[in-house]
Amino acid sequence: MAMSRDEVFQEVREVLVDALGVDDDEVTAKATLMGDLGAESIDFLDIVFRLEKAFGIKIPREELFPAESLMNDPEFINNGKLTEKGLAELRDKMPHTDLAAFENDPDINKLGDLFTVDAIVNYVEGKLGNSE
Amino acid sequence: MSKKQKKLEKPVRITTIARTMRFILIDKIVSLESGREIKALKCVSLAEEYLADHFPAFPVLPGVLLLEGLIESASWLVREAENFAHSMILLEQARNVKYKSFLAPGAQIEYTVQAKTIEENVSSFLGFGLSNGERIIEAKFGLRHFNLADEDSTMAAADARIIENMKKRWKLLKS
Repeated sequence: MAMSRDEVFQEVREVLVDALGVDDDEVTAKATLMGDLGAESIDFLDIVFRLEKAFGIKIPREELFPAESLMNDPEFINNGKLTEKGLAELRDKMPHTDLAAFENDPDINKLGDLFTVDAIVNYVEGKLGNSE
Repeated sequence: MSKKQKKLEKPVRITTIARTMRFILIDKIVSLESGREIKALKCVSLAEEYLADHFPAFPVLPGVLLLEGLIESASWLVREAENFAHSMILLEQARNVKYKSFLAPGAQIEYTVQAKTIEENVSSFLGFGLSNGERIIEAKFGLRHFNLADEDSTMAAADARIIENMKKRWKLLKS
């Protein structure tokens, strides 16, 4: 039962509306989870759980939002920026996301900008076997 | 030995909780325009216990506690405007919450909360927090204010004690 990207987007939007209490029209493709939709640490767990249920997929811990492992390991962060090791970890964990801009200035404060609605849709498509 | 648990009288239990809760997410009130706007500061300290887990390699103030700072600021605006009429001031709803950047130990955030309306039992606000000119959080939210005695007249003494404690805290915050 292959879902089109738009169908995946609609379902992801519904998950975010339920998890974050935002309106439908706030959930645009480019919207960032933290900066635009007000998601914070507790919400990420909730979002993962709801995505698993909505799409019947398994999302291993840290696979969708690798931030926690990055923020827990001192080898990955130095002086508020990701180290080379941290960047490698990020590249490994977020293969569907364009990290070029972030890598120019890997300021941990900007990490949240990578978590967009698009990034989630990309991830889910990957899991469902839609891409490639 | 009796297995029966000793149950404290409800009013004592509630005021004990209110008195021992040291959940204070603002340090100082900087300015207050009665019924209209309040500005308050919070300094983030490495000693705050929740930072140990959030996160070990990169401690930052949790988003919910940034929001709590806005809520507490708004609560003081209500208390001052209504002359401490209500013991309970609680969050009713929060909308359009945005987390723009992280706040780390050593940083100071200044919250600005503007009242849209303050009525007898409800109020609504627009709030944001800045640190070094950078936006950290913004939110629209509403509060509900009431006394425990509204539902249960035996709680009047508990209300009085909570209000007394809030008046003491007010003196500390605005000094």
